[in-house]
Amino acid sequence: MSKPSRLSRPFFILLLLLLLYGLWIFSRPAEEPSQPLVRSRLLMGTVVEITAFGSPPDALERAVTAAFAEMARIEELMSPHRTGSDVARLAEAETEPVAVASETAEVITLGLTVAARSGGAFDLCLGRLKDLWGIETDHPRVPTPEEIQAALEGTGQKKLQVIDNTIVKHDPRSAVDLGGIAKGFALERAARVMEEAGIRHAAVNAGGDIRLIGDKLGGPWRIGVQHPRDSGKILARLALQDVAVVTSGDYERFFMRDGHRYHHLFDPATGYPADRCQSVTVVAPRADLADALATAAFVLGPKKGLDFLKSYPEVEGMIVDAAGQLTATPGLKGRTQ
Amino acid sequence: MMIRDLLGRTTILDRAIVLVLAAAAVSLVFFQAGRPPGEKVIVERDGRVVFTAPLAVDRTVRLDGPLGPTTLKIHDGKACVTDSPCPLKICMGMGEVARSGDLVACVPNHLLIRVSGGREKDKEYDLLSR
Repeated sequence: MSKPSRLSRPFFILLLLLLLYGLWIFSRPAEEPSQPLVRSRLLMGTVVEITAFGSPPDALERAVTAAFAEMARIEELMSPHRTGSDVARLAEAETEPVAVASETAEVITLGLTVAARSGGAFDLCLGRLKDLWGIETDHPRVPTPEEIQAALEGTGQKKLQVIDNTIVKHDPRSAVDLGGIAKGFALERAARVMEEAGIRHAAVNAGGDIRLIGDKLGGPWRIGVQHPRDSGKILARLALQDVAVVTSGDYERFFMRDGHRYHHLFDPATGYPADRCQSVTVVAPRADLADALATAAFVLGPKKGLDFLKSYPEVEGMIVDAAGQLTATPGLKGRTQ
Repeated sequence: MMIRDLLGRTTILDRAIVLVLAAAAVSLVFFQAGRPPGEKVIVERDGRVVFTAPLAVDRTVRLDGPLGPTTLKIHDGKACVTDSPCPLKICMGMGEVARSGDLVACVPNHLLIRVSGGREKDKEYDLLSR
């Protein structure tokens, strides 16, 4: 018969602690206690992902589906490539008034306001210039100075006028392009649809342009900001809720020619891609405003751009200049992790 | 002194039990920390899931879209598009994805490839603004 074990009290306590630790490891949940619903769609030429918390699940699913449908509806109105869209009809028009949806009129009104406040750095009439460069096509090219000069005819905020839900082009050469603002507006509409459905914690992410509804169940959303020259790194991490975050950078859509980077953010004053910044990130109460301001600040450059962002009381931003130097508005520094 | 005293009052069986429990606890910690960050690849087309596969199993698959077949390769716990009929090949240029929430999209071919199922708290951020 074997001798019985002589376990002392401290030894027994040690064993008990080890057992409890093992049990804790086994029993702790592998995921967060409340799992979000995550759905994605390809819309507006990018991936739109909605992350939403709430219950019951079927109501949450319905709200997210409705938000996607709203974004698709906005795309139908504002895409220049959809036959019969408001923007396509504006392209075909000479100087006669064009009746548009109230949403299109709202976007153009906001765009013209940003255009005026930025001294023309933001421009809604760059359609011909964008077509000329073809940055987002499979045959981009560097146009001649003469071609660029010709494409700049018809640009400028004074070439467009909004009268209720009617748009008037004062120059038939003006080619309306809402690329710098429509995606932000669609994000804003998607957020509105979900809020009306009672969702209090969600995020809509359209290819890196983000609209947040509330926080992430008890804590702010952690938003990484892409480093403009190292896709594997983030520039900063922001703790945010109930705002929109939009980044405009020269690294998303571009081509290289003779060692020079040609990207999709054009300076309306020159007709060439703006070259004073690598990226601009804007945090604003609305996604359409953030979208337009990010483009405008990118064109204005680090100093004027930052001053421009500061002129909006509820807006914060950070700018990486052409040399890679980061500057930010004072209010954003407190939200950087 | 206390440890020596403790050891003096234990049998071989006591020590064996302690060793087994300690080894179990340590291995559990390593098991938890060493799990792959993403666990499966989900492919959607027009909002519908058309393919799922674990990231841990190497394979190459053809995914049909309106432009033709896109080739998805899963290798060494990572997924990437190796061939696509789309004009700009942006999806191929997006490289490899492995972490939960990572996406590769081919907009022209209506395909969305996502890594899902990893541990959320391992992520450095919730969303990326770019």
